[in-house]
Amino acid sequence: MADMTLEMVQASQAGMKALGAAIAVGATGIATGIAEMSIGSAAVGATAENKDIFGLALLFVVIPETIVIFGLVVALLLLF
Amino acid sequence: MFKPEDMSKVLVVAPKDQIDAVVKKLYSLNLFHIEDYVEQEEEGYEGYRIGMPLPHGSDTSRELLKLRAVTNAIAVQADDVSPKERIASSRLKSLIEQDLPSVEGEVESLLNRRSRLDAEAKEIEQVIETLSPFANVAVDLDLLRGYDNLAVLTGYINAKPDLDIPHEVLTASSKGGNLLILWISAGYRNEAERALLDAQFQAVPIPDESGMAQDRIHYYKGKLSDVEKEIEGVNHALDSLKEKHQGFLVACDELLSTEAEMAEAPLRFATTENAFLAEGWIPKKDVHTFIEGMSVATGGRAFATELAIDMEKDVIPVEYDNASFAKPTEFLMDIYSRPRYTEIDPTLTVSIIFPIFFGLILGDVAYGLLVLALALGLRKVITGDEGQMLLKILRNAGISSIIFGFLFSEFLGFGIPGIEPLLPNRHLSIGHAGGHGPAVPELMMMTVWIGILHITLGRIFGIVNHARQDHGKHRTLAVLANVGWLLVMYGILIAILSMFALPLMPDLTGWPAVVAGLTMPAFIGLGMLILGVLFIVRDSALEIVELPTILSHVLSYARIVGVGLSSVAIAGVVNLIAIGMLIEPQLEHLTALGVVIIIVGAVVFVIGHILNTILGMLGGGLQSMRLHYVEFFTKFYKGGGKKYDPFGMIKKFSED
Repeated sequence: MADMTLEMVQASQAGMKALGAAIAVGATGIATGIAEMSIGSAAVGATAENKDIFGLALLFVVIPETIVIFGLVVALLLLF
Repeated sequence: MFKPEDMSKVLVVAPKDQIDAVVKKLYSLNLFHIEDYVEQEEEGYEGYRIGMPLPHGSDTSRELLKLRAVTNAIAVQADDVSPKERIASSRLKSLIEQDLPSVEGEVESLLNRRSRLDAEAKEIEQVIETLSPFANVAVDLDLLRGYDNLAVLTGYINAKPDLDIPHEVLTASSKGGNLLILWISAGYRNEAERALLDAQFQAVPIPDESGMAQDRIHYYKGKLSDVEKEIEGVNHALDSLKEKHQGFLVACDELLSTEAEMAEAPLRFATTENAFLAEGWIPKKDVHTFIEGMSVATGGRAFATELAIDMEKDVIPVEYDNASFAKPTEFLMDIYSRPRYTEIDPTLTVSIIFPIFFGLILGDVAYGLLVLALALGLRKVITGDEGQMLLKILRNAGISSIIFGFLFSEFLGFGIPGIEPLLPNRHLSIGHAGGHGPAVPELMMMTVWIGILHITLGRIFGIVNHARQDHGKHRTLAVLANVGWLLVMYGILIAILSMFALPLMPDLTGWPAVVAGLTMPAFIGLGMLILGVLFIVRDSALEIVELPTILSHVLSYARIVGVGLSSVAIAGVVNLIAIGMLIEPQLEHLTALGVVIIIVGAVVFVIGHILNTILGMLGGGLQSMRLHYVEFFTKFYKGGGKKYDPFGMIKKFSED
């Protein structure tokens, strides 16, 4: 570590930031996917039974989207 | 505005011989939301019975059933037919008696013929199926059966079997595999079958035909194509029948449905031996017309009057009362739930704020124009009230996107030359170094402000709702609880601001510390927080677990900038790939291959931006809807109102 130049430290810091942002978006994206998976299948089933609830079902499906959006916000704050 | 149409409860009483006239008038007025009478021996309603349907009802229903069978079979739908001229009811009635049976008969006989032909075609296909394994067999099919002392085994097999019995064998290739035909003496049949079974023999039945299989297949194929041609002819005849009569059929359907509905109306009335009474709801502004109309229609023999409304017991149907600008948004409200009669109808606020959120997310002049063009272009394609409402919502959203596109100075992800963004910068420096990149902290704070104001509005609506709906001690507590939520939210905000200076927020960090390093604003913030929690707990202690939602709901508005920036990023990437990587390098030294690459670049450019517009529409629409449904409505909105559904129908194809 001792023989790192200032430029190298800065570059690795920028890299770490980018990695952090990537993990923030990636992990929350996976989490949202898992959450939407079960809601989505239930929503499709319910919509097949009764078309009228399509709007509400769609709404339920997008609720976990908050998770990935928080991830996106954190990533943006890290990068800019 | 902010409240549904005022309703009046009306009672109509008349002798039974007037029931026809009353029902007809109610239907034509299309105002009366019938409150169904339920026999439950309620106090004051002893001795009333549910009415009987009008005498012509069962005939009409039977007629309607027959008509629907025909229209379903040839797929006639009222939505597909544009009403050209309306037929007078009286003329239509005589037409129903004279012409309808013959049209129905014609369609039915064609349908019968088609199902007969279908069955025939199935049969022929089956015969071809049994013949097809023998297609390459060069032996007359007659030679395969009809022996007294010989047995013939036919079937697929992979390898030739070892048979130590006298036999004659023939093989032929066919679609299903190798076909084996084996002649043996009838006495060896069991032995042969066992040997074949060991060789994985799959038996195939011998077709009941004579002559060469190939010829028979040819013959049946010819027959099948004849039958298919005939079916096509029948379908064609049905289509031309549909074309010719569909206007008439939908008009008949409309008339018969209205008559059936009218005939069944007395099932919803309360009757005595000689009289009947109907209770229902009509908009307050129409009460006068209604009462007068009733008396005129029956020659003064029906009595209609306004009743007092019992707010506790009556379920009042809800009809929206909005300015025409806000009307389409009623669609978004109905997706969630119709407001109850006593609560604030937030349609107007949603109709203003929804396009703003959408514009803040999409915020690009070109994308806004695309959305607007789509909304205007689909007007002719998508019929139906709900579709039209959705298109108007989309149109408003498109206009808002254009406005915010100028405010953000964005056109297909590029900056608009000469226009500095008025709102915090969203331009990403994709593909080129330099530039100062997006002003993320400012954008975030902007959305936090939007969230705080939106939630404050929701809480104020909540205060009004509770003040209007609740009574006594509970009313005060509920109102104070809503104030408490506001106090906690602003308390937290002030406390945070006293410690950190944030962009777009008042700077409260400069105050001198009073005690323990805490400044005056910090104390005020904490005080508001504690007071707010007290107010909330007094109403319901369980609500404490909901406290973190204050933070998460406000931060949830960050999706406006999150989704918006991702759409800008996609636009930037599309531009980089299409122009920066494909088109620009080729323009320097133009070659034949270069032209192709430029065309590819143009295709990428167009498809990429169209895709991004669709994504933006989905994202922008769903996220703005969600911000309303989850973050805004949970503060005050209950919903669950009953839809005002007046007895009657707007006739499109027939007239009285």
